[in-house]
Amino acid sequence: MKVPVVCPYCGVGCRLYIERTPSGYRLEYADDIPGIPNENGRLCPKGNAVLDLLSKDRLRKPLKAKEEGKFVEVSWGEAIKEVAERLREIAKDDPRQLMFFGSAKTFNEPNYLIQKLARMLGTNNIDHCARLCHSSTVAGLKAVFGAGAMTNTYRDIEMADVIMIWGHNYAETHPVGFRYVIKAKERGAKVIVVDPRFTRTAWFSDLFLQLYPGTDIALANGIMHVIIKHGLYDREFVEKRTVGFSELKRTVEKYTPERVEEITGVPAELIEEAAVTFARAENAVITWAMGLTQSVHGYDNVRAVATLIAITGHIGRPGNGASPMRGQNNVQGACDLGVLPNVFPGYQAVTDPEKRRFFEEFWGAELSGEVGLTTIEATHEAEKGRVKAYYIMGENPAISEANSKRAIRALRKLEFLVVQDIFPTETARLADIVLPATSMLENEGSLTNTERRVQWSFKALNPPGEARPDWWIVSEIGKAIGFTGSGARGFNYRSPEEILREINACTPQYRGITPERLKENLAGIHWPCPSEDHPGTPLLYTERFLTPDGKAHLASVEHSGPAEIPDKDYPLILTTMRYVGHFHTLTMTGRSELLRKRWREPFLEVHPDDAERFKLKDGEWAVVETRRGRYPVRAKVTKAVKRGVVAIPWHWGANVLTNDAIDPVSKIPDTKACACRVRPVSEAEARKLLDELREMGVVA
Amino acid sequence: MSGILIDPGKCIACRACEVACEREHGRSFITVFEFETSAVPLNCRHCERAPCVEACPTGALFRDGDGAVLVDVKKCIGCNMCVLACPFGIPEIAGKIMVKCDLCPDRRAEGKLPLCVQTCPTGALTYEEPSEFSMSRRKAYAERLALRRAENAPGL
Repeated sequence: MKVPVVCPYCGVGCRLYIERTPSGYRLEYADDIPGIPNENGRLCPKGNAVLDLLSKDRLRKPLKAKEEGKFVEVSWGEAIKEVAERLREIAKDDPRQLMFFGSAKTFNEPNYLIQKLARMLGTNNIDHCARLCHSSTVAGLKAVFGAGAMTNTYRDIEMADVIMIWGHNYAETHPVGFRYVIKAKERGAKVIVVDPRFTRTAWFSDLFLQLYPGTDIALANGIMHVIIKHGLYDREFVEKRTVGFSELKRTVEKYTPERVEEITGVPAELIEEAAVTFARAENAVITWAMGLTQSVHGYDNVRAVATLIAITGHIGRPGNGASPMRGQNNVQGACDLGVLPNVFPGYQAVTDPEKRRFFEEFWGAELSGEVGLTTIEATHEAEKGRVKAYYIMGENPAISEANSKRAIRALRKLEFLVVQDIFPTETARLADIVLPATSMLENEGSLTNTERRVQWSFKALNPPGEARPDWWIVSEIGKAIGFTGSGARGFNYRSPEEILREINACTPQYRGITPERLKENLAGIHWPCPSEDHPGTPLLYTERFLTPDGKAHLASVEHSGPAEIPDKDYPLILTTMRYVGHFHTLTMTGRSELLRKRWREPFLEVHPDDAERFKLKDGEWAVVETRRGRYPVRAKVTKAVKRGVVAIPWHWGANVLTNDAIDPVSKIPDTKACACRVRPVSEAEARKLLDELREMGVVA
Repeated sequence: MSGILIDPGKCIACRACEVACEREHGRSFITVFEFETSAVPLNCRHCERAPCVEACPTGALFRDGDGAVLVDVKKCIGCNMCVLACPFGIPEIAGKIMVKCDLCPDRRAEGKLPLCVQTCPTGALTYEEPSEFSMSRRKAYAERLALRRAENAPGL
């Protein structure tokens, strides 16, 4: 029998089948399901390697630490009792000493439960990895359009005449989604790529704007300057559907292409051409990702880009819109279900007394109206001893957090750390209790892709050992803490379907997305879907925006540099990137021989001139140093990066180098630009340094 | 006959084809070469007049019903003649016999596409008659040309 699942990797949310055969399991392409995001069942290398998640070193039994990194096996009963007791004790003292992490790598149902658990314990200290990737998108788009999600679908990208890809190596991070860009290009669409690196996405560009990391606002303002000066904006749209145009006009007036060239390094004539091409297009979309968001002014970056979209009227119509690309398959769902410190499920503010009263009544508990901590803030608070316990579901902050050495220090300082995961991660080594969870293929539930498409994934395999589904673990802990009320007032769940029905009842966007409908319709349903007979909403803002007055709020933002700029001691700018065959902190892809042998190790990309200046040789070892740490890596001399810029994939642990300065609004760290220096080292010295970092638990 | 046709203009060097092929065959019979500004995937062309077949001294190379060039492992003596004859450098000697792309015969029997083609995210690999391929390319080019004319046409 072929079981339809959703790929456990990126936000495209590809469908595939897992089939049981006499000799084990095999993967089959879902080329017979109409309307899925990966048409004809296509898969990238990670998707092709999903069965390697069944590798031998999965967590099989609950573990309890005797000392750091030394565990003994315990029973589920014992593990749950201990977690429940410790959480209850600390909460009794002060619930703000607890921190919970949801996960963009698990289904909607457990994410709903973990935020419910945090909130019923009396704290809004709940967050997940979207903080480190798209929190600035969520906040920035909300400010301009009223909601933080992608406004259109992949189909709209295919239909566009101009596609602007900003700070996003689309071809490498979302290969199956990039299909739609290529199809548009075949039809004659123009592609504009904005990136500090000449990526494989840039191979497909008609215009390539190679800016310095952290200068996105200046560029966006420069483009808007040209559009406004030449009167290329959509007058009718600006007048009817936006506010704040006159202020914007004043702000961008001083961003002449010549001045912007000085700041960004992008030639003035290219800025002019990009502006005219984008504004004149009948239909145009902008997609973006970490290159735009991971910045101390990520919030402003996103607002500037959203404003550019709004003044050209490229939104609310087919073939147009704003398309932030999510990195993990359920980032959107985790955000939707309130795994954020400021909102309940459905983006209902915790500070809104009316919404709070609804959930107090619904869950039968007194809830906090104080906005909770974000991940980086929690790390800083834990360092100070003000946060005492973390409950981490499927996250690996030891590698993923900016300035990871500091993150490890904070994790070590905790009184109690629970890690619920499928593999023994670098973070799990520091845990007091480790709870073995099931992978996405061994469990079922709903999840929400980049396009707001909610799909059901079915159980295809049996979990190893005593591993249990995330929803089961969280509900057992909830019950053990004492939340045994009936219905929504407790944690007595028998199935993920039951949890989704509770989500339907309290999350307006998901009201009509019932388990029955999802199971029947494998292509899924786009939220908002306000009732069971509603078909879903692929395209947002056709009539009005979700802001209180229904208009787009144009943002006038000024350029300021990254948190750290090059100087005498640290003369280069370091930026981070990804490889197509790897995923985040390598916990999953690092265990696949198929992927590991093709993407074996990280490389430092360095421009030939800088290589000569700092005596680096192609393929030889170098050490990169920042004010936070040192990291040895082989050099790759290439013109893909600009002079003065170096780049490293972050999968293996380059976050020992990155800056944990955060954006004041979205609290996203500045991992895409910091000052660094490089020097050649011998292989022996490099290996020694790597061993030290591995010992510290900050590299994979 | 249909064959795997490669459009390097659409390849993003993701190597999904390699991973899929290796998963199925234990090693990959397609190789993606990456350059600074483009990538080229390459596998057996199953040539109409295949030099490997002509060079094989034992008759180990043969064609199946779809025209795919296959190796009869019982007849192959690992002499390397096919390796020398192939202009694309495709055949490899693994252990003592030659191995190469077989166009996924089991999948073809079920009416499915070869794995590398099925998985390719961007459509850089297609499985079709070369005449279909050239016709669709011709048509796409013509459409682009027509579109440009339509854009500049007044009164439309």
